Amino acid sequence: MSILLILLASAVRQATPLLLAALGGLYSERSGVINIALEGLMLAGAFTAASVTHYSGSPWLGLAAGIAAGVLVALVHGVACIRFKADQVVSGTAINILFLGVPALLSGALFQSTGATPQVPQEQLLPIAPIVLAFLLVPVTWYVLNRTPFGLRLRAVGENPEAADTAGVNVARVRLAAVLLSGALAAIGGAYLSIGQSSLFARNMTAGRGFIALAALIFGKWRPVQTMLACLLFGFAEALAIQMEGVSQVPVQFIQIVPYVLTIIVLAGFIGHSRAPRALGVPYQEKR
Amino acid sequence: MSRPRLQLAGFALALVLGLATTGCRDLSQATGDPGKLRVGIVFDSGGKDDRSFNAAAFRGVQQAAKDFPIVLRDAEPGDPASLEPAMRAFAEVGYDLVIGIGFAQTPIVEAVAKDYPKVNFAIVDGVSSLPNVASLIFKEHEGSYLVGMIAAHTSKTGKIGFVGGMDVPLIHKFQVGYEEGARAVNPEIQVIQNYVGVTEAAWNNPGKGKELAVAQIGKGADVLFAAAGNSGLGVFDAVEQLDKLVIGVDSNQNWVKPGHVLTSMVKRVDNAVYQIIGDLVNRRFQGGIHVYGLPDGGIGYAMDQYNEKLISPLVIQDVEAAKAKIIRGEITVTDAMAQ
Repeated sequence: MSILLILLASAVRQATPLLLAALGGLYSERSGVINIALEGLMLAGAFTAASVTHYSGSPWLGLAAGIAAGVLVALVHGVACIRFKADQVVSGTAINILFLGVPALLSGALFQSTGATPQVPQEQLLPIAPIVLAFLLVPVTWYVLNRTPFGLRLRAVGENPEAADTAGVNVARVRLAAVLLSGALAAIGGAYLSIGQSSLFARNMTAGRGFIALAALIFGKWRPVQTMLACLLFGFAEALAIQMEGVSQVPVQFIQIVPYVLTIIVLAGFIGHSRAPRALGVPYQEKR
Repeated sequence: MSRPRLQLAGFALALVLGLATTGCRDLSQATGDPGKLRVGIVFDSGGKDDRSFNAAAFRGVQQAAKDFPIVLRDAEPGDPASLEPAMRAFAEVGYDLVIGIGFAQTPIVEAVAKDYPKVNFAIVDGVSSLPNVASLIFKEHEGSYLVGMIAAHTSKTGKIGFVGGMDVPLIHKFQVGYEEGARAVNPEIQVIQNYVGVTEAAWNNPGKGKELAVAQIGKGADVLFAAAGNSGLGVFDAVEQLDKLVIGVDSNQNWVKPGHVLTSMVKRVDNAVYQIIGDLVNRRFQGGIHVYGLPDGGIGYAMDQYNEKLISPLVIQDVEAAKAKIIRGEITVTDAMAQ
């Protein structure tokens, strides 16, 4: 395989968890709910997927359980932010901190470990399916957003919830659906890390990918195709750093900042103004 | 701030505090048993189930708790910032010995040991000059030299890899020893090296570990030495998938992926912590530097039923000869930390 192919394959693999989480974030944020909890949702999905795969021997069951866990945690975020109109950043941060601890606690009870699961055998991994799913979801998300009634309502409650409410849209319900969807997608991203790319859950194994996904979402102007390109850019920068590190004489610290420097350059110079959904972060009080 | 916001902020705060103190949750129960010596151990961010460095330390203290009349409590701080509170908590309630695992805890042990001169401390992989601190250090470069020789003998491509965890002087010690050993066998050999990261997170990122391994294999490496905690398990996945060989680290990891693990550079942290607890129990605990290396078996390479078919007796002969020369001082392996 030529070096370019290796580079591209690596970029796609590293973009996949970012893309899944970022698409999840896209649904939530386009509906007006900030989802800074992507990191915690990924960890929930990753841990549950690895644990259930370990017990059942079926990665598909593991993936399904991971999705269920993501939806459940997202439900907490959704209820806090939508029903109780809590501060969305605080709620999301709480979830992130919570999931630094929960897997450690559960792995202690289940595996006498403190934050890791046993390794899943090679033949029980899903190395390809989540990648395909992630990239298929880009056109699907575009279509849902721009060509379906649900997408119209989603954008409406994110831009102008008063108007949507007046038109008879149940703002709370649409937002909750969006937040749950984001939990499911972020959890698939996490599951890819634990039972796709690697073969176990390790404590805090997302290592900030949830936040990079969030950056990619903002960077991609909250649009699916642009967000995908942003994720690919991050993935490519990571892959490039890996290829450069082994051969060049440049200190590793410099090479490892390449992805971030690239981000700042592109953000500052090339993408222009990135405008958030107008009602993002604003809890909606029904007028009835 | 509106009321629900305040409530939530309070909730989040409680959560943070709750998590920050989980490291010390067992302390209150440990004050019983006045006749027994009390030993506290603080693991580093890899966590005691990393199947490698921390796991070795955990085995050692567990064995000590079985053999000696001691009360043992451990703390596993989730993030580097809670290492010091955990260690202070042990010292504050008057533990007899507090052990810090990992170089990152060296400054913390120093600070706490100064404040509690009556408490004994031990630090693994770090050096302190305080009289109440035992510094347990290992000659990892010498063991890495031997596995580097095995790697060079085994490689068919003339290219081997090194995947380090956090880019710190301690891991450079592994890397430099490995390279020197490989060069001793094959002066032309190419060693490709990567580090997972420059922060603590580098020990827990198996996804990145695997990507690095795949990249090295793509460049032609067929034997990879992983010194990267939990991230190393990603390297194990990569060599299994692409049918190459990996060298494990710290614990004997030959069993992790049988047939794909060439050997493991073992660092008997278990023996070291066991001995220091034994010294405490027998009232002969001594501060200062305790060095473990090849002659005492503190460092070595693992041979067992999982890898006996992977390494030929001729290679073993060559490696054993080099080992004897290192012990006699006829071969000097560079210690990257001493430079």
